[in-house]
Amino acid sequence: MIPLLLAHLVAFLVCLAPGRRSARWALPVAAAVPAVTFGWLVSQSSSVLHGDVPSANLEWVPQLGLGISLRLDGFGLFMGLIVSGIGTLVMLYSTAYFGRRDDLGRLAGLLVGFAGAMLGIVWADGLLSLFVFWELTSITSFLLIGFEDRSATARSAAQRAFLVTGLGGLALLAGLILLGIQGGTTSLSELLANPPSGTVTSVALVLVLAGAFTKSAQFPFHFWLPGAMAAPTPVSAYLHSATMVKAGLVVVARFAPAFASVGPWRALVVSAGLASLVLGGFRAMRQQDAKLALAHGTVSQLGFMMVLLGLGTPGTTYAGVAMLLAHALFKATLFLSVGVVDHSAGTRDMRRLQGLARALPITAGIIVVASASMAAIPPTLGFVAKEKALDALLDTGLGAIGTVALVGIVAGSVLTVAYTIRIAVGLLGNDAPGVTVEDGARGGSGTGALLEAPVDPSGVHAPSLAFQGAPFVLAALSLVLGIAAEPVGHWLAEVTVSLDPATASKALHLWTGVNTPLVLSAGIITAGIASWWFTVAATRSVDAPYSTATRLYDRAYDSLLAGARQVTAVSQSGSLPLYIGVVLVSVGAALATALLAGSTDAISDVPWANSSLEVPLVALTALLALAVLGARQRFTAAVLLGGSGYMLAIVYLLQGAPDLAITQFLVETLTIVVFLLALARLPRDFHPAPSWAPRWIRIVVSVVVGLTVAGFALGTSQSRTAESVGDDYLALSEPEAGGRNVVNVILVDFRGFDTLGEITVLAVAGAGVVNLVRAARRQQRRKQLSDGLEVEERSGRPSEVWR
Amino acid sequence: MSGTDGTRRSMILAETVNGLTPVLLAFSIFLTFRGHNAPGGGFAGGLVMAAAVILRYLASGPEAVRSLRIDPIVLIGAGLALAALVGTWPLLDGGEFLESSIWKFHPPLIGEMKLVSSSLFDIGVHVLVVGVVMAVLVAFVEADDEVARANAAREELRSNAGHDDASGDPGTTTSGGER
Repeated sequence: MIPLLLAHLVAFLVCLAPGRRSARWALPVAAAVPAVTFGWLVSQSSSVLHGDVPSANLEWVPQLGLGISLRLDGFGLFMGLIVSGIGTLVMLYSTAYFGRRDDLGRLAGLLVGFAGAMLGIVWADGLLSLFVFWELTSITSFLLIGFEDRSATARSAAQRAFLVTGLGGLALLAGLILLGIQGGTTSLSELLANPPSGTVTSVALVLVLAGAFTKSAQFPFHFWLPGAMAAPTPVSAYLHSATMVKAGLVVVARFAPAFASVGPWRALVVSAGLASLVLGGFRAMRQQDAKLALAHGTVSQLGFMMVLLGLGTPGTTYAGVAMLLAHALFKATLFLSVGVVDHSAGTRDMRRLQGLARALPITAGIIVVASASMAAIPPTLGFVAKEKALDALLDTGLGAIGTVALVGIVAGSVLTVAYTIRIAVGLLGNDAPGVTVEDGARGGSGTGALLEAPVDPSGVHAPSLAFQGAPFVLAALSLVLGIAAEPVGHWLAEVTVSLDPATASKALHLWTGVNTPLVLSAGIITAGIASWWFTVAATRSVDAPYSTATRLYDRAYDSLLAGARQVTAVSQSGSLPLYIGVVLVSVGAALATALLAGSTDAISDVPWANSSLEVPLVALTALLALAVLGARQRFTAAVLLGGSGYMLAIVYLLQGAPDLAITQFLVETLTIVVFLLALARLPRDFHPAPSWAPRWIRIVVSVVVGLTVAGFALGTSQSRTAESVGDDYLALSEPEAGGRNVVNVILVDFRGFDTLGEITVLAVAGAGVVNLVRAARRQQRRKQLSDGLEVEERSGRPSEVWR
Repeated sequence: MSGTDGTRRSMILAETVNGLTPVLLAFSIFLTFRGHNAPGGGFAGGLVMAAAVILRYLASGPEAVRSLRIDPIVLIGAGLALAALVGTWPLLDGGEFLESSIWKFHPPLIGEMKLVSSSLFDIGVHVLVVGVVMAVLVAFVEADDEVARANAAREELRSNAGHDDASGDPGTTTSGGER
């Protein structure tokens, strides 16, 4: 498995390598990688389904259980087949969709990179691996939504999607860490085999669900998905309908059998899922862009699958997995077909599309089959899966919550049928409802734009066979797998066993005889047709691509930025006395706390002086420092401070620290020189104290902080508990580091890492100075440019007036 | 003698510094290499070299710094890179980070020569310290230039205005006289 993921990584890099140069080979090369993956998965399938689970480990920090750890169980195989199979088809389709463009290398690279990350999610066994691949899909999705990087809409949609799914990813990380601690393992399979319980586990599960809801665009985080339709259509088909948005469902499907009964899991899953199901259905009815209608439909159906997989009973889990397959097939088909229509007719606006059934007969057939599967009309896979879902919901054994789920799903399904018919008729209808001259004029686009709508079949150019190949294969699968329900059902049962062993006996049937699910299905279809028929007139004139949730999100985002500006304005006042005051008080408080918490009686045996010379020296040092306080001029203060530093250097020398003394002398000298250079450019005298910090406050702060620091220094030197390392250093200096000056050897060898850190800080400070100077120079040049004109004007105009 | 910023400079100081510079440079390098066995080291050596640069600046003005034609950021980067490289080098050999290696040579005539890898680390520190002090110095030079430019602009404005007045007045009188 790791070589396969590496192949995705290599293909990602190879495809990105040409940069902005044309790379027609990139998409076929990229498509080869998921194709190989698909082949490998097929070859592994029989052994995996018989319980032989291959796994792979790449250790990173084994002590913490960190690393990439993968495990190919039945469900991983199933999802892997969907991800790599649809991935291959979408990339082949893209070669026809995009034609000649210069940035196809980037597209191909991102697509194959995404495919690798998605495989990582479905195969992950390590909790950390799961999170890492999860975030990788968020990042590739961000880059793909913003693929048309010159469009502001695409950029803001990409940012919105990234922030929402990224924050969800952080919640997921927190949840996974908590679960890992609770379960005492970082392996997903071990965690699910011995699920922990309790309050912390409930909190962790809520966090995991928050991550899953953002990724799978569940209410109230659903709004990023319609925005993500700013991505090119093949990308939307692959990421935002068939695969990536399933990542949340994958996690829920894996967790639900073990955790569904813990805490608020079922309540959350059912409420968010049903809300998305109904809301998405309603919003899909209110779109005129076929792609956006499909996107809202995706939100709706993700909600449906969220309920099924989240309930966690064997029946619903099995039905949910069947729906995953059915949905991936028909939704990818529909997106790709909308791409074909868009390409051939030049628009996706359902008000302008007419008569395509005759112009594009193959595409029309594909759309009809996929729509039938979406609306759960026999004999498609969608019908078979939904029958199973209704059957399972009728018999959840969960009481009220099961009934709520059933009622909600029946209601949502009516909407599904209604919007499916609306989209299919809108795309293909010969006399599409709503397309009249008056409506077009009222919509603001004018009759001229409307008359360009390709009503004439001969005006629509037929797409190439390669272009239609991918949707054709997928639509055929929707139909064939529906008819072959029995063997498919058997295979799905083998797959689902890895989620819940109790699903082993489950099966799919195309015809089960007249029973409650069939009656419900018939009712849903009838009600759906009716609701479509009665809303045709009403939905003609609405076009509401932006939702309230988007507006709320945008407002929250704007106020966050405004808040950040305010916090910066308050915390970064630019007042030097304030900064220094905050630093001093913080340091003083920290040291005082440490001093009070420790044993204060340590400061008892104070060594007052080691030699008689020290007394006058220290007195002089202190005197010079005190004299600084009396200085009115900056210059005097700087010189006095330097004098105090020199005295201190002599004290070091007396104590037998020549290295320290040399450094102190040099630093003191340079400091004074630099001080003087700066003072030459400042006012001669100090500013008077600002009103918020009068002199007495400064004195109190200085004295208290100074005494605390002195006390801390005395206290720490008196309370040594461990052996001094000094003797070891002295003994090791010559043999280990080849130096006789132990101070220097400590700096460059024993504690060399510290020195490296210190000089890094120094380097950063130096770079900061250089950049400040450069920024000032740039500003100066800009100002000069504008000033220069002004100066010319000012010096030019009077003389002209004069002459 | 006057610098570009218009301040007076002492020729005696300039000449003294000229003579002193090579001595200071040699001393700074000596300090750095001596550090391993006696008081000194890269930090002290770097400071002495930086002091030499500052002295030249004080004696001869911004030209002293500008004529060096060295970007301080290059010195800072080179010093840090050298120190980091010396630190990571032993890792390639299976050693510890910053582990010292000691090489001994026996060149003819001089006798035994010993080179310790941490001397290279000290050279990195030395170069970096010079770079940081020079960065500060360049900031002052830039400030000087700015002041000089502003003065020049003000001077130009004033002389332009004065010139206009001077040429304007006779102009009118001349024309008046001709009339």
